[in-house]
Amino acid sequence: MKKTLTTCAYCACGCMYYLVTDDSDRFIGVEPSATHPVAQGHPCVKGWNVFNFINHPDRLTTPMIRKNGELQPASWDEALDLVVSKLHALQSKYGNDSIMFCSSARTTNEENYLVMKLARAAFQTNNVDHCARVCHSSSVVGLASTFGSGAMTNSISCIDKANTIFVIGSNTTEAHPQIGARVIKAVKNGAKLIVADNRTIRVAKSADIHLRHKNGTDVALINAMMHVIIRDGMENREFIQSRTENYGELKTIVARYTPEFAAEITGLKAQEIVDAAHLYAKSPIGMIIYSVGITQHTHGVNNVRAVANLAMLTGNIGRPGTGVNPLRGQNNVQGACDMGAMPNMYSGYQKVSDDEIRQKYENAWSTTLPTSNGLSLTHAMNAAEEGKLKGFYIVGEDPMISDPDQNHVRRALQNLEFLVVQDIFLTQTTQYADVVLPAACFAEKEGTFTSTERRVQMVRQAAQPAGESRADWNILCDVASRAGYQHMNYETPQEIMEEISSVTPIYGGISYPRIAQLGLQWPCPDKDHPGTPILHAEQFTRGKGCFLPAEYFPPAEVPDEEYPFILSTGRSYYHYHTRSMTGRSRLLDREQPSPYVEINTEDANRLGIKHNEIITVASRRGEVKVAALVTEDIIPGVLFMTFHFEESPANLLTNNVLDPESQIPEYKACAAQIRRIS
Amino acid sequence: MKVITQNQLHDFLRSLTTKYDVFGPVVLHDGMLSLGQLETKPFKLLSGKIPLRISSIFFPHASTVLTISADRVDVPQAASKPILVIGLTAGDLEALEFTDNFFLTGCRDDLYHQNRSTSIVIGVSGRSSANGDFHKISGGKCDIELINDGERFLVSTYSEKGKTLVDRISAEDEDISLEALQQESNSLPEPDRDIIQKASELLLQDKVSDEFWVNVANQCIECTTCNNVCPTCTCFDMYDVSNKDNVIRYRQWDSCQLSGFMREASGHNPMREQASRARRRIHHKLAADVQRWGKISCFLCGRCDDVCPTGLGMKAVARDIVEQFG
Repeated sequence: MKKTLTTCAYCACGCMYYLVTDDSDRFIGVEPSATHPVAQGHPCVKGWNVFNFINHPDRLTTPMIRKNGELQPASWDEALDLVVSKLHALQSKYGNDSIMFCSSARTTNEENYLVMKLARAAFQTNNVDHCARVCHSSSVVGLASTFGSGAMTNSISCIDKANTIFVIGSNTTEAHPQIGARVIKAVKNGAKLIVADNRTIRVAKSADIHLRHKNGTDVALINAMMHVIIRDGMENREFIQSRTENYGELKTIVARYTPEFAAEITGLKAQEIVDAAHLYAKSPIGMIIYSVGITQHTHGVNNVRAVANLAMLTGNIGRPGTGVNPLRGQNNVQGACDMGAMPNMYSGYQKVSDDEIRQKYENAWSTTLPTSNGLSLTHAMNAAEEGKLKGFYIVGEDPMISDPDQNHVRRALQNLEFLVVQDIFLTQTTQYADVVLPAACFAEKEGTFTSTERRVQMVRQAAQPAGESRADWNILCDVASRAGYQHMNYETPQEIMEEISSVTPIYGGISYPRIAQLGLQWPCPDKDHPGTPILHAEQFTRGKGCFLPAEYFPPAEVPDEEYPFILSTGRSYYHYHTRSMTGRSRLLDREQPSPYVEINTEDANRLGIKHNEIITVASRRGEVKVAALVTEDIIPGVLFMTFHFEESPANLLTNNVLDPESQIPEYKACAAQIRRIS
Repeated sequence: MKVITQNQLHDFLRSLTTKYDVFGPVVLHDGMLSLGQLETKPFKLLSGKIPLRISSIFFPHASTVLTISADRVDVPQAASKPILVIGLTAGDLEALEFTDNFFLTGCRDDLYHQNRSTSIVIGVSGRSSANGDFHKISGGKCDIELINDGERFLVSTYSEKGKTLVDRISAEDEDISLEALQQESNSLPEPDRDIIQKASELLLQDKVSDEFWVNVANQCIECTTCNNVCPTCTCFDMYDVSNKDNVIRYRQWDSCQLSGFMREASGHNPMREQASRARRRIHHKLAADVQRWGKISCFLCGRCDDVCPTGLGMKAVARDIVEQFG
């Protein structure tokens, strides 16, 4: 029996636990780390059951090449040579930027760094991005412009120190169980809680104030809260004076957002907004927690800035228990951003457009590099549909299930001349792949993940990769070398991290020996730096915090006569994203074996829909059949679906309309109708 | 009675590794205690609580039940060496006795029996040389008990298997009395025992309101850790995995906090409401087991209280019950 301490591969809470393997390398259990600052001996139900998918017979164990319309087993040599020759051929014919690399927030930092190095150095294109584009790109843009850094400002342990916690756009216990639980415990220990979400989610049951505002009206709500705070003299003048700029513009914009005005927009009572504003502002230590309910809107960046403005207005930044805390979705989505798997940044958020920075990478990588920004993931998918993008190399991602407007994604993927997918299982996306490369899963390789609190932690190998599968970093190096780029050879992931820390100032002091125990939180600029649990303590990363107020705009699609409901999407506690892992874990799949749509009891009664009845949910983009979950937990006029299930894909319905600044799609609001089938 | 030092004990255990798979408390990479195999370092006896349920040594998180191939069905064979586990406290031993009764009485669980019937269990008690704490003397419920007097271990045996093994220790018998240590053990306070007893009575008298359980459920995130660390939780789920050449049936720890735990194939679920599941966890240990086995099946180890992310461990809930309904 062997116990291997590693970091969880599900959400970004970043729990560590031991994977238990028997003498024949089979996974036989999980033992939580009792000393880890987040796990504290209690993984969530997904963590406890994480080992089930690893030995699953569906794992990809050999490369596959599509021949006569069928994916057929192939050798690594054959598959990788084909990948390189096809990508090169497309580039010769259509130009370097005719291909796109999609990195993966499920893989390690080292692997994300290599995907961007592969794209930029070996294939000479900045067309590289990953799924943060569709979850938290609004945070990266919104917080970078207000604070100078797009990450969670505080640490998870700060929840214990807050007097008031304001949760908005986050189904915390379901998507980030450790954080949700910590919020509930803080309330038990005396903290006050405001939850803004029109569903009665689990954290709302512990809330002092539960704001059930209409979908997509967050800017109006927060502007009105700021209006009240200024009107009632509760703003932190000293902080505004010494730490921020552009306050005048904020004051001007929020002046017209009286609680009564916002009540009209949000569907709340004016007094509820006043109470929430007072509760948050009067608290000496106030924390804001938000997630993709804020970011996944056509005005996602404005939502994020509104949240940042609210924190600055009350001086709730830079101290323990305060802050603006975007909860990142995937185990390593923070790391994938940190590593520069983005079309406009190298690792550590260093701009591609900066000549000096580019030169630094050219020297480090011994090559010249492309100068113009590449395509974002959402723009790339549009370009593929339009026939402008010809080749796509997707690592650990299933856009057929996770991207908006599935029919659009299908057309885009079908339109490609060449699609490579590197994954651990066959997925809906591999249906359109020309080559499938089998990857080792998190338990079969070494590397690091960076959690939502910026904690860089070790991922350790507990068993040999399944079949002929190989670690992603190993595959990527092989592809680079076959593509004729000879500066991507590493014996171990540790060597890759050494290179990362040499070119990435915020990771400058990160090394395997230093993070061996419990990790380090970036920025960690040198080998003696203790890491940074709280950002913006003395000054903001950008110097002064900048108020960037915004006006309220409704979602791109609002209910009308034909599509009278508003549909929002999200996660279930028991499943993870496209279910390739949780769907193959017995207890998790048993808990939530099939898809559902939440519908308010009044709406259901009016339409004659019974609980568990299979109904049709339709939007302008398509329709799905799904069981009705009739509940008071959702307000009338709103529908909610999880996006996990391929048999009733919520993303067949969602709207591929993007925030102009972050290019994030509006997953959280589209117009929909429901119909009884019989 | 034989009296041995830590070093003598270590040498003795080392000598047993040819015959037994020897497990005891070890410190893992992150500094936590766990049951691990004997290696070069001595076991960390009486150094603190092992967070995971002790019964995991005989009833692992996941195990194979049987393998069905085209022409045969295989059941797991017994391990080549029986298990010897050392380091269980008096509380652990009480819980193990309960788990033994559950798995081995009446309809015997073959997998558990396979591991347990050949095993040797060594309890530890007395004064910890690590931190000076005094641990209750079990006085039974194991094959051998090592009672630390602060410097050395006094070796008590309670079974024939234990006696045979202890005879192999080269130390001479000493004329030594356990009386003083036993007195100290008897005088150890058990502040939580009363609370659990009172909560049990209130549950048996049906004094706890439905609303109480709704409130508990609202704070529970269904992480299932309380069940998974509990030394007297024994529930498991069974499932089949179809491979190319065979079908393997596994069993894996289950949790009564999950909605699927009691859901019928029809979809009907007698415990659909989370509040009913929150009630079940406490009610089972403090009321149902009292009726079935004649005793409360929480032995106050505090593992669930140590790790519940929202403070809903057995002692915490029992305290709330007594405060609100007592």
